[in-house]
Amino acid sequence: MILEVEGVVRAYRQRRGLFGGGVDVRAVDGVSLAVPEGRTLGVVGESGCGKSTTGRVALGLEAPDAGVVRFEGAAMPGVGTAAWRRLRARMQLVPQDPLGALDRRLTIADQVAEPLAIHGLPGGEALVMGLLDQVGLRPDLGRRHPHALSGGQRQRAVLARALATEPRLLVLDEPVSALDVSIQAGIVNLLQDIQAQRGLAMVFISHDLKVVRQVSHEVAVMYLGRVVEQGDPDAVFAEPAHPYAEALVSAIPVPGPRRPARIVLQGDPPNPADRPPGCAFHPRCHRVAPLCRVADPVLKARADGRLVACHVAHGEAHG
Amino acid sequence: MAPTAPLVSIRDLRVAFRGLPALLGIDLDVAPGESLGLVGESGCGKSVTWLAALGLLPGSASVSGSVTLGGEELLGAPPAVLDRVRGGRVALIFQDPASSLNPVHRVGRQVAEAVRLHRGMEGAAVRAEALRLLDQVGIPDAARRLDAYPHELSGGQNQRVMIAMALAGRPELLVADEPTTALDVTIQAGILELLRRLQAETGMALVLISHDLGVVAETCERVCVMYAGRIVEAAPSDALFERPLHPYAAGLLAALPGMVGARRRLNAIPGGVPEPGRLPPGCAFAPRCGLALPACDAAVPELRALGPARLAACIRAEAAMCEAVAA
Repeated sequence: MILEVEGVVRAYRQRRGLFGGGVDVRAVDGVSLAVPEGRTLGVVGESGCGKSTTGRVALGLEAPDAGVVRFEGAAMPGVGTAAWRRLRARMQLVPQDPLGALDRRLTIADQVAEPLAIHGLPGGEALVMGLLDQVGLRPDLGRRHPHALSGGQRQRAVLARALATEPRLLVLDEPVSALDVSIQAGIVNLLQDIQAQRGLAMVFISHDLKVVRQVSHEVAVMYLGRVVEQGDPDAVFAEPAHPYAEALVSAIPVPGPRRPARIVLQGDPPNPADRPPGCAFHPRCHRVAPLCRVADPVLKARADGRLVACHVAHGEAHG
Repeated sequence: MAPTAPLVSIRDLRVAFRGLPALLGIDLDVAPGESLGLVGESGCGKSVTWLAALGLLPGSASVSGSVTLGGEELLGAPPAVLDRVRGGRVALIFQDPASSLNPVHRVGRQVAEAVRLHRGMEGAAVRAEALRLLDQVGIPDAARRLDAYPHELSGGQNQRVMIAMALAGRPELLVADEPTTALDVTIQAGILELLRRLQAETGMALVLISHDLGVVAETCERVCVMYAGRIVEAAPSDALFERPLHPYAAGLLAALPGMVGARRRLNAIPGGVPEPGRLPPGCAFAPRCGLALPACDAAVPELRALGPARLAACIRAEAAMCEAVAA
């Protein structure tokens, strides 16, 4: 395994009022994931479900409050240590907003070369040009500054820079969400090509289920800091087992013939500072049973191997 | 369908910002009560069309052409006329409800202001109507929510408040510009359902501007696809998504990953949208088009009829049709 995340918890202290005490908000609440070489794990969920925090913990950018993160079998060194800094070359983050991730004052070629210099790796123009070529950028674009590139070109530049140190793991946080559809497709294809060539492990975080299905070998659906369902993307999206996954899939607008009736969730998205008792999804669930209000379901395997955290899906209760 | 006089009629609408063209001649009718989707990528002019039509562009924009609402010309109309139309006969909602609402006023007061302005109500009737509107847009416990501030409501609820304000003037047309783009998909589903229900209840027409083909497909009866400042295809939704005629529309659909069936490599459209002021001669899509011929560079293709209620601006539409049938 390239990446293993086990029982990771990441809590933030939120203050209540001016003089009130703090309350621990668990953005990630006991998440376990593993990504082998050459595979992509898709992480989906809505705002505040903890998917981005999971990505940052996986990269060691934030230390977990509980649980372990292992990279290539070894425990992640402490944030800021020399060992951690050396590891940074082996794992890279690709964020949503490429313009924010690039330095406006440097040319694209300089920025692609920068991580090589930082990690004391051999650089040179030929290497940089090779990287630009690999992400589909013309050599002359290397002399430009970020603002002179289109959104899709900028995201390609960010990718070239991320690939410079030959990482084994890429964590991509909504990498195509800000791009137009026709540009998005090119980046998605590029990511798949890069993975085929380099055997990278990828964590692909997105709210867009269609894109996640396209790129992932496995998918984890998150709700309020926990994984509620995990399995093969084709199977999970064709027949979601968890009622939240079911609602999420049914909410996707798809061009073409109308599909069966949509499940419209009641109520507001949940507040991590005020986690409902029992199953956190029960106040919005269309299959809720009395057990769900009191007992917290655990994520466990069904007969077919799919992981689901739901009393009703496991037949322990009937909604 | 019997031909009815259009509610809004746009003819040869052109917009340029400091000499750079943004809209290059839009012809568009909206029938009373119809739902029309405008799709296209960033910068194609889908939002500018309606901002220009309602006189909401800054003074630096030069606008020409004609926009009529029930026969009355809106372009160059005096401010008093436009003030009566905007928020009255035509209402607008935008992507980010939080920035459209005033953060320091309670939402009830903001809805009430719209009721007072557009309906001439006074006193207790205003609050009663505001309450009815919040109720109509599906805000739970509306009586209590009247006294909430926007930051106390979720993004989905704030968008419902915006819709309630839009309904205050009993509009004949609601223009919704990316109304669900900032929202989570399960919340989006609720807002789209609300828009469909309100349209059925009130009989208003709906223009939905979106980059999301799926959102438009399930909400609108008719769709216009825009590219580089022009409409390149107009068709009933079902027909468009079943068999697009313009290669750009076909390309957009092929670029979308599916939710069912075998995964295939996505069909990316090569290149990028041309910059304003650097449009290629002839068809603006030709440099990215797999079906382009030398003739495509000769002249801008006319939007022409190619079947029942179907228009496409492409001299290769027949070839695109054959390719779609063969595929």
